[in-house]
Amino acid sequence: MFPRLTHPRAYVGGIALLMLLLIPLAVNSPFIYHLAVQVCVFGALATAWNIVGGYAGQLSLGHAVFYAIGSYSATMLVIHFGMSPWLGMFGGAVIAVIAALVIAYPTLRLRGPFFALATIAFLEVCRLLVVHFQSFTGGSAGLNVPLNIGVEWMIFREKWAYLLIAFGFLAFTLWVSWIIRYSRFGFYLIAVREREDAARAVGVNAVRVKISAAVISAALTSMLGSFHAMYLTFIEPSAAFSLELSIQIAMFALIGGLGTVAGPLLGTLLVLPAAELSRGWLSALGNGTHGFVYGVVLVIVVLFFPRGLVGHLGGKALALIDRLPGARRFESAAPTIVNSTSPASSSSGVRGKPILIAEGLHKRFGGLKATDDVSLTLHEGEILGVIGPNGAGKTTVFNQLSGFIEPDAGTVKVCQPDGQWRTPTSPENFAQAGVGRTFQIVQPFSGLSVLENIMLGAFMHTRNIAAAESVAREVAELTDLTPLLNASARELTVGGMKRLEVARALATRPRVLLLDEVLAGLNPTDVARAIEMIRRIRGTGVSVLMIEHLMQATMALSDRIIVLNAGQLLREGKPADVVNDPAVIEAYLGKGYLDAQGT
Amino acid sequence: MSIFIQLLINGLLLGGAYAIISISLTLIFGVVRVVNFAHGELLMVGLYATWLITSHTGLHPYATVIPVAILLFAIGALMQRFVIQPLLTAEPHIQIFATVGVSTALLNLALMMFGADVRTVDAKVGAAAFQVGPISIVTGQLVTFVVAIIVAVGVYLLLQRTFVGRGFRALAQNRSAAALMGVNVNKTYVLVFGLGAALLGLAATLLAVQYPVFPTVGQYFVLTAFVVVVLGGLGSLPGAVVGSLFIGLIDSLAGYYVGSDLKEVVYFVIFLVILTLRPTGLFGLGRGSE
Repeated sequence: MFPRLTHPRAYVGGIALLMLLLIPLAVNSPFIYHLAVQVCVFGALATAWNIVGGYAGQLSLGHAVFYAIGSYSATMLVIHFGMSPWLGMFGGAVIAVIAALVIAYPTLRLRGPFFALATIAFLEVCRLLVVHFQSFTGGSAGLNVPLNIGVEWMIFREKWAYLLIAFGFLAFTLWVSWIIRYSRFGFYLIAVREREDAARAVGVNAVRVKISAAVISAALTSMLGSFHAMYLTFIEPSAAFSLELSIQIAMFALIGGLGTVAGPLLGTLLVLPAAELSRGWLSALGNGTHGFVYGVVLVIVVLFFPRGLVGHLGGKALALIDRLPGARRFESAAPTIVNSTSPASSSSGVRGKPILIAEGLHKRFGGLKATDDVSLTLHEGEILGVIGPNGAGKTTVFNQLSGFIEPDAGTVKVCQPDGQWRTPTSPENFAQAGVGRTFQIVQPFSGLSVLENIMLGAFMHTRNIAAAESVAREVAELTDLTPLLNASARELTVGGMKRLEVARALATRPRVLLLDEVLAGLNPTDVARAIEMIRRIRGTGVSVLMIEHLMQATMALSDRIIVLNAGQLLREGKPADVVNDPAVIEAYLGKGYLDAQGT
Repeated sequence: MSIFIQLLINGLLLGGAYAIISISLTLIFGVVRVVNFAHGELLMVGLYATWLITSHTGLHPYATVIPVAILLFAIGALMQRFVIQPLLTAEPHIQIFATVGVSTALLNLALMMFGADVRTVDAKVGAAAFQVGPISIVTGQLVTFVVAIIVAVGVYLLLQRTFVGRGFRALAQNRSAAALMGVNVNKTYVLVFGLGAALLGLAATLLAVQYPVFPTVGQYFVLTAFVVVVLGGLGSLPGAVVGSLFIGLIDSLAGYYVGSDLKEVVYFVIFLVILTLRPTGLFGLGRGSE
């Protein structure tokens, strides 16, 4: 829950942060106090924005709406009900959470720009509503906060009191952001941002994760808005419900580094004082100069420094900091976990009870019957090969077996350890029901290390980072990835990436593993390695269903083979019987070949 | 009853104005796959250009269409070439940031150059109304509506019947496959962005007759156009037209029956309902949620 304060990154960061409080207290000038309060508030706003905009990668361009909800709720509760803003800000946060749900629920189920559009539209609508209901909200003229001086009203004569509170808010927001970044939730957010499909395949409920990020961010933003209203003692719709303010907040986070803990604050520290100091002479040049410079800076940063201060310079800075005392080279606090995977590893080749049954699957794409009445059964401890010529519908069947495509008719059911059958409906449901899958086109989370990639799978059964890491190390051993654990996933070879796909799926501790062409495109050494790996996996008691083009490998590995052709199940049987079947040969090589052979 | 008919006609005619803006927005999104948040500011630039030319030369706004469209084409093409093109492979939220930056810069540039004052173009022809029985029709709105239909048909024919248009559609479907078939991706994108912007120039000359010009004027139109485009299905041409007419009607009816200061609230509710019930929009291609 807390950073370890003996680590140089923690104490250097903490001391730097404290400077934001100590320097103004030492200087004791009203302007410096004001600047420091603004840096704290905007730094915290950018940090809160970053939870949804950076970690989740969902651009909220109307984020000021949550700020304004907080400002207005707290102020109106003071005016109309005499409620202290210390309580009122929670009222604002509740309203902001509801607003975030209204925006996020319809739009975050979709991919694309819908969330960004909805936030802008919502901002505009709230502004209009506030202007319209003027008897209650003060309309476009705005509201004055009653000046009841006292701690309970968050109104003070001394500027330093505001700074203390603002600093507290900033520290709290940073702490929340830090917890999220290094928790399972943070890993899930990054996974969903990078590759939603692959995240769902390891059991992540992508929509819920994104909505949670939006809700947390909205609540924090609203509380900051409540405080800021008390500080400014005056609010008006055009300043609070402002697109410009929203963009400014997002821009601070971008300049500092999206998706990093320290970035948004650093971006604010870099830009805000410069903007405040130059405001005077820039506005002397004409109305709008200020905004024009902001726009141009934004474009330049996006084009040339899209990773921000932290992204471009963070590595070097951290390397310097890590040379200070207290940084241990490698941390292996992970307890060695007892091998929890194998449910009484059945001896290979022996057919157990059915574990996955598909019945009467149908799927049409327009006029094409991609899957036409396919039924199949996978048994415990079995390796089942699925072959068929290109376009036979192998991948479509595969996607129905893992929830990525919903069949038009038919069911897929999975046997649970307690003997009950479950019919999952979504990819994450399938993963949770014990069906792991790989992707034919590999889907590594390229921003994460190999270890972290595998940990994502392990998180399905544990929230604990150390436990997930230990599962990941175990799986890496099984998939020949141990020497590569600290490499970045994008540095792997094709063979490595394919094994990473398998490892990530295995880390969810599946009882059924669906492999989609994991041998395709590998060199002979890697193929041999992968075949051994699949045997080892089956040895741990996992049932395997594999789609494969490489005939020899399929023949060697499979206990049973299913042949698909034109969406239909053509043959099913032992490898040797199936490949000599005339119908199968015809499907692969055409009727002419059969005739020429004289059969 | 005649009020209701008047409202319907006003709504449909207003839909014409939205249609041109929405077609250009959906064209750019459909082909380049970039949501242009600077769209409103491009329209605003067009309106200022129209106002500048008419106030200096005394020409009727409609007569400025060629220089304004060429100017907007150039701005659009430059924006694609130097801002969007380097970011084509970047994550979508980075692209959005870039267009937001352009939008902020243009808006404030207008504020610097022309101030926040509301400017009006002096044109008697377009602003006048004529009577058909009990119904009054504003000439400028009728002209806009007719031009909108011509634009819709023209863009449709361009996409369906011409070689260039086929290139647009190929790119919209699959960037790499189109490139392999010899479509010059970067050139085509520049062309599409330029064309989309030029349509905004056309819209600007038509709208200048009826609406005042000020730095944030574009935001008003484009927020509506975004709702239209989502309603019709992102990237769909018929969707943009039908969506515009529908939103035009809502605008006119809600403005009368609900109150003109709350009509946007009505749009937004529709926007959220559509996203909840049918995220691909009315004419979505099934993958419109992309």
